[in-house]
Amino acid sequence: MEKDTGIERERERRMGSTTWLWRGLGTAALACLLLLLAGFGWALKDQWMPTAGMAVPEASPPPAATGGSLAGKPEILIAALGDSLTVGTGDATGNGYVKTAAEALAKAMDKPVRVVNNLALGGLRADQLLERLDDTGFVNAIRQADVVMLTIGGNDLFQFATNGGSMAQGSDISPAQLESRLPEAENRLRDVLAKIRSLNGTARIVYVGLYNPFYDLERIRVEASDIVQRWNAYAHHLAVADGNATVVATYDLFESDIARFLSSDHFHPNEAGYARIADRIVQVLQ
Amino acid sequence: MANLLALVQNETIKVWKKKRFAVVVLILLILIPVFVYAQMKIAQNSAEKFKGDWRAELQNRITDNTRALGSDRIPEEWKKWRRALVQQLQYYLDHDINPQTPNAVTFTRGFMDNAVTLFIPLMVLAIASDLVSGERSTGTIKMLLTRPVRRWRILFSKLVTLTLYVSLIIVSTVVLCYLISGLVFGYRGWGEPIFVGFQVSGADVNTSAVHAIPQYLYVLMQAGLIWFASMTVAILALMVSVLVRSTAASFVTMMAAIIAGAILTNMASSWHSAKYLFNVNLELTSYLQGTPPPIEGMTLGFSLCVLGLWALAGLVVSFAVFTKQDILN
Repeated sequence: MEKDTGIERERERRMGSTTWLWRGLGTAALACLLLLLAGFGWALKDQWMPTAGMAVPEASPPPAATGGSLAGKPEILIAALGDSLTVGTGDATGNGYVKTAAEALAKAMDKPVRVVNNLALGGLRADQLLERLDDTGFVNAIRQADVVMLTIGGNDLFQFATNGGSMAQGSDISPAQLESRLPEAENRLRDVLAKIRSLNGTARIVYVGLYNPFYDLERIRVEASDIVQRWNAYAHHLAVADGNATVVATYDLFESDIARFLSSDHFHPNEAGYARIADRIVQVLQ
Repeated sequence: MANLLALVQNETIKVWKKKRFAVVVLILLILIPVFVYAQMKIAQNSAEKFKGDWRAELQNRITDNTRALGSDRIPEEWKKWRRALVQQLQYYLDHDINPQTPNAVTFTRGFMDNAVTLFIPLMVLAIASDLVSGERSTGTIKMLLTRPVRRWRILFSKLVTLTLYVSLIIVSTVVLCYLISGLVFGYRGWGEPIFVGFQVSGADVNTSAVHAIPQYLYVLMQAGLIWFASMTVAILALMVSVLVRSTAASFVTMMAAIIAGAILTNMASSWHSAKYLFNVNLELTSYLQGTPPPIEGMTLGFSLCVLGLWALAGLVVSFAVFTKQDILN
């Protein structure tokens, strides 16, 4: 008899704990289920019958650059724009001239140098860049930059070289075509520089000039070099007129022993080529 | 009714006592810290590069993806995806909203978006796969079926139990994710605005219906959609569990289907009829995100229909077979 009630009590105790487990578990699971059903229903409603949604806080643009000499700043901010040269195409290390120059500048001036953004896109022409300069990201980056580095124009002049035929052979380049493209491309360059200046009145603009990528092609060496010279001269003219802009010459870097400094596509510099461009930029900025 | 409730109670306690749910929680407790650590490393890396300037970071993502669009080596489908992403990110930048504010809620949101196709279904299978076949392999199915209870009631109680556990799993994932990642990223971010309503049509993203919602609402809607997808997986797993004798076979069958779906979503864009498979439609959260669907022409309504029909068919088969089948050995 004694034993029996003991077993009974034990069983009751077990049943009790199971009941409590079930109550807790069941309630929690049911609450989760209802919550998820509500979420599911809300998702359907939001997808098919969207409402106006919450108010978004007002835009607060990033601080603009303060101006003044680079030497007096605690940190130098760089924005880079332009075409594949600024992307760093051809550089096996992926640094390009922008990162290399930023690192060298940090060492030379003994202060932090930060690339706010490298906004360059391969194959970009000056007219396309002009359009992009309206984008929020471009405006943000240029506004706060102390130095704006850019390369542009190569595609405006030489882009047909990549359409059909091998670029290395320059199969479809004719001097007359280059000549006819020059005036329009020059206007675009002028507009691009003016736009950058309107976005940031104090930044130092560093325009990396063109070089003749066809220097080892005797057929058009002279004509192409001539066009490149006229282009760079025009860029220099714009820079002088601006007063706070510089053209970094690169044409002479790629005239002798060109294979050592161009990458395998015979068009873009390799890491050694970019390092030489970066050296010149640092010299200009110091 | 009381009878049915008692059955559900019995089933729920059985799953609990078999420590199935404990295993799920254990997996979460081990895996979430791994992902949190990885995310922390990424965050540290970008903080070093961008010095907390999220606009620069966002623009960098836009530029990177735009550059990739210019490459001829990238397949057209991936370009479509990137193009939509670029337009979305640009929308955020134009409205000066950071889509990735560093906090626990953002981490949870990202984790759930990635978990919907594989991780959550896997955990659902941990419970669903041996619900019936487990009783067979242990022989307890005979005890269960010799009781004076109609067979459909038994299966129905198992289905209710499964629904309860699926809900528990999803909510636990969200809660554990938030609690663990909060240690690193901070327990904030419920009210941060998120844009929803991006409509992908062809190569373009239509932003006319875009509106901002607080992040907590996003997580809630996301969890609701994941619940629906998980329920389809759970019901199909129940069906396989009825049809197949061994738990291992049932688990492997479902897992194979889920993984095949994950692979197909990445490569099936030219095989149009693949969109009628349930496993290609599991990523319901992508409609919330506004990323292009794996196959042209898929919409939220379409995916819900496909999943719903598969689940319905799974239920019909499960009940038809379970109520009729002979139990041998």
